Amino acid sequence: MQAAELRRIERDLHDGAQARLVALSMQLGRAEERLEDQPEVAELVRAARGEAGAAIKELRDLARGIAPPVLADRGLVAAVESLGQRSAVPVTVEAKIERRLPPVVETAAYFVVAEALTNVAKHAPSASARVVLTERDDRLLVEVADDGPGGASACRRRRPRGRRRLDRASPGCATASRRSTASCASPRRRASGPPCGRSCHVDDH
Amino acid sequence: MRVVIAEDNLLLREGLVALLRERGIEVVAQAEDGEGLLRIAAGHKPDLAIVDVRLPPSFTDEGVRAAIEARRRDPRLAILILSQYVEPVYTSELLASGDGGIGYLLKERVGEVRTFVEALERVADGGTALDREVVAELVRARHAGDSGGIAGLTPREREALALMAEGKTNAAIARAMVVTPGAVEKHVSNIFSKLDLPATDDDHRRVLAVLAFLGAGDG
Repeated sequence: MQAAELRRIERDLHDGAQARLVALSMQLGRAEERLEDQPEVAELVRAARGEAGAAIKELRDLARGIAPPVLADRGLVAAVESLGQRSAVPVTVEAKIERRLPPVVETAAYFVVAEALTNVAKHAPSASARVVLTERDDRLLVEVADDGPGGASACRRRRPRGRRRLDRASPGCATASRRSTASCASPRRRASGPPCGRSCHVDDH
Repeated sequence: MRVVIAEDNLLLREGLVALLRERGIEVVAQAEDGEGLLRIAAGHKPDLAIVDVRLPPSFTDEGVRAAIEARRRDPRLAILILSQYVEPVYTSELLASGDGGIGYLLKERVGEVRTFVEALERVADGGTALDREVVAELVRARHAGDSGGIAGLTPREREALALMAEGKTNAAIARAMVVTPGAVEKHVSNIFSKLDLPATDDDHRRVLAVLAFLGAGDG
């Protein structure tokens, strides 16, 4: 499915079902306030509001999973900075991108970074990570590196000491998982890189 | 308290106005977009603006940008952002836009009417009210690798600071942590001294502590 279409679905959820559930939750809150003298009924209304809240949260998680709002709202750099802020390891972001990229490229690059940072947090919790986004000749270079000790044996030999790929679960390293993430976004987008390199190219053509 | 609202969804705007009216809070004007917010903020000089993140025409972060601009024009304007999603980047920008008087809550919190109204009053009073989900996410993130004063806090002090970021009073923090108010005062005073915060009034120091915690100054 195209990234633009996923964003449209996110917007529809936001303005449609989510907004209606929020309105429902407000009305239930107001009803609850008027039921002070009927605690049992008030409890029922409170439980109903709790259910509405759970539904809102599920929709929010779903929306973030398919099209993170900050990515649509602010673009790739802000969304990657947001990932850095949410990450369990310290992350610095360097970006040399002056314009909004096509949604399909932003989405693919975003999920590549998200997955790489998750891997750093999992395999090198005491490391810090650095994300570099560079646009060159219609090509976006996404580079994620960390300063953690060692790595998986499959990749270690090819790395200088102390530098390592972020994805090291399989001999194919990150490329395989990046491809699968990338292929969700668009059949036209190509994620490539040497088997144990530290970069991923996301092309827009 | 005089309040203005910027929200493009009619259902939510009307719900909010009705709810606030029932609690005796006057909504002096309403807007549907960022330009409208700037207009009513200038025209009505409200104490507080309640602003939706996504507003027309761009339906992206128009509300955050308009709120920050409104505050630049009138630094005493308190801002409460309502959103359907949590976004630490926006929270940091808002906190960096002034000295307190900032809230960021998920929209469904409005249904917890009393807590919501308390948060409004606190923000209008110059305090902060950050959604517990925003705080939880930042606490999780900051736990591992931190620098500066925050790293020197004990886990309990960190917990107290996270509750402070939500805008809780010492009494409420004591209830949440199941300790005595005296123990909370001790935590809070340790936090102030470890973060090297100037000895001004306590409310102001609370805001500064929360800012340090959220790294708002880092951009």
